[in-house]
Amino acid sequence: MDYIGLFKELHRRELPSGGWSFSGSPQMSLETTCLAMFSLLAEQLSSAAHIIRPLLHAQLSDGSWPSFIGDGEPSWTTALAICVLNSAGDSSGARERGLSWLLKTNGREANWFWRWKFKLADRAVRFDPDRYGWPWLPGSASWVIPTAFSVVAIKQFTACSRSELSERRIRRGVDMLLDRVCVGGGWNSGNSVVYGLPLQAHVDVTAIALLALQDEERTPVVKASLGWLKQRSSDIESVESLSWCILSLFVYQEPVEHLKARLATLIGGGRDIRNNATLATAILALKCGEMIHPFEVLR
Amino acid sequence: MNLDRRRFVGSAAGMAAIAGVAADWLWPKHSVSYRRPRSLVAILNAPEYSEKNEALLMEGLQLFRFNLAGKAVLLKPNLVEDLPGPVNTNANIIGAAARCFLRLGAARVVIGEGPGHQRDSELVVQAAGLKPHLADRQIEFVDLNRDELARVKLKANYSGLGELWLPRTVLDSDFVVSMPKVKTHHWAGVTLSLKNMFGIVPGMKYGWPKNMLHWHGIHESILDICATVPIHLVIADGITAMEGNGPLQGTTRELGRIVLANDPVAADATCARLMGFDPLRVQHLSEGGRFLGNLRAERITMLAERIEGPIRPFAVVPEFRYLLARTVL
Repeated sequence: MDYIGLFKELHRRELPSGGWSFSGSPQMSLETTCLAMFSLLAEQLSSAAHIIRPLLHAQLSDGSWPSFIGDGEPSWTTALAICVLNSAGDSSGARERGLSWLLKTNGREANWFWRWKFKLADRAVRFDPDRYGWPWLPGSASWVIPTAFSVVAIKQFTACSRSELSERRIRRGVDMLLDRVCVGGGWNSGNSVVYGLPLQAHVDVTAIALLALQDEERTPVVKASLGWLKQRSSDIESVESLSWCILSLFVYQEPVEHLKARLATLIGGGRDIRNNATLATAILALKCGEMIHPFEVLR
Repeated sequence: MNLDRRRFVGSAAGMAAIAGVAADWLWPKHSVSYRRPRSLVAILNAPEYSEKNEALLMEGLQLFRFNLAGKAVLLKPNLVEDLPGPVNTNANIIGAAARCFLRLGAARVVIGEGPGHQRDSELVVQAAGLKPHLADRQIEFVDLNRDELARVKLKANYSGLGELWLPRTVLDSDFVVSMPKVKTHHWAGVTLSLKNMFGIVPGMKYGWPKNMLHWHGIHESILDICATVPIHLVIADGITAMEGNGPLQGTTRELGRIVLANDPVAADATCARLMGFDPLRVQHLSEGGRFLGNLRAERITMLAERIEGPIRPFAVVPEFRYLLARTVL
């Protein structure tokens, strides 16, 4: 596999001011930038301070990160940014400020009024509003991906010294993920059953949710979801979903070499992958096992 | 005493009504109106998806006499999930429309969508069968969930959102074509050309699903979005439609129609009538009829087929049984 070519392609797409946009625009996306930085850190950890500089500059005054530069609102990418700073071993204090914001942020159903609304009146979607996690942006409900990345970020950052609050938020986030699991395993954005009918799980969401549960007990829910992901990974032809499959199955010690081979064929030289976040995720997946996994949680 | 109470209640109700009218006049909820004296709608009979759809679509489009020379056309289909069944706008119809617009002189045709649930748009595009239609280098797919964004002040104020970040691809288009799949919807009653515009709201800012819009009211958000990004043409895929618990878990309903219109309210009202619903009972349609387009049949000119009865109404979840038109109940 020509990693060097892929890295060069990713480097070529870096914005002049630092960071990456999704595809060709000059607007730095935090999600893309974080995923690209993981790849760069794996190659050049000694340049970590230089690599993460655009990320530190993008932090908002309340400790959060926006979803893109130009936006002044906090977003779910705060969790991803903390994971990058964990990988870089940053000691600027940015992580602490990010964690503080994360611990204060809840899905909207955390408020008693909305919780009771969902319990008593608005019951079309099956979920337990007592089990809440993190929203995509403040003011909306909890969803699976922001919750999963937040759980990973907090677990990673507080691995050596965990406050009661951090532990409580992790547990509640894990409970929320387990509550939102789809019938038969796996996760979608967070609506598993609507009007009594089960909705289908999504590959990328399932992979990311499993990353958050990697150090948890292998309950039947986790086993079923892992089984679902393994089964779906066998025929997935999308670069983004396949990449997340590899990243997730790897931490569960499942064989991924055959998936990496398929991904390498799909991605080729990377030039046809317009979405820079997808290209960066694919590089991480292809390098899986040869670098420190960016979303690995120490047990 | 009774008389006084009656008089008090009557006066209070009267004052409330006057206050309501005055509030509408003093603080209007929309700063634009796209209503025209008459709107044009063409119902095309199309029993199945086939290569013949392109010729049919071309004939239908020519009825509208658009001048598309040199214009950047955005096709906004409804691509939601990699699921079987009539969930997504059919790829044959999308591809046929793209080729028709190029033949009609468009400088550029972009297919843009930001799926509301599925983050992996490539997966949705693959599953919808759209890839072969993108082979033509003049037809590009843009993931609106991850496009460059610009902050836009909304031109209506039903939701209270005030402003939204919207994709550059949408804002820079000269001609926006909403291409919904005709479906029932368990939150909005129906999902047609107006509701389809939820897909231009970017996931990278508002998440998957675009939950913020739900918190601010689905109907209200639809009105604000469609006031801000006007739809120039509707091509509704009603060949195979969805009834029951749509937009994902409903059942297939063969309708055999493509609906074209130069007015999204007229298009949706026509589709609603074909579904056996009273469009006045769809909240965003009845309100949209005040400024986004024409709702009433007498202000719609039918260019092709007419709505022929009797219509077997689409099944709906119990919460939306009130949509059923009286004549078919």
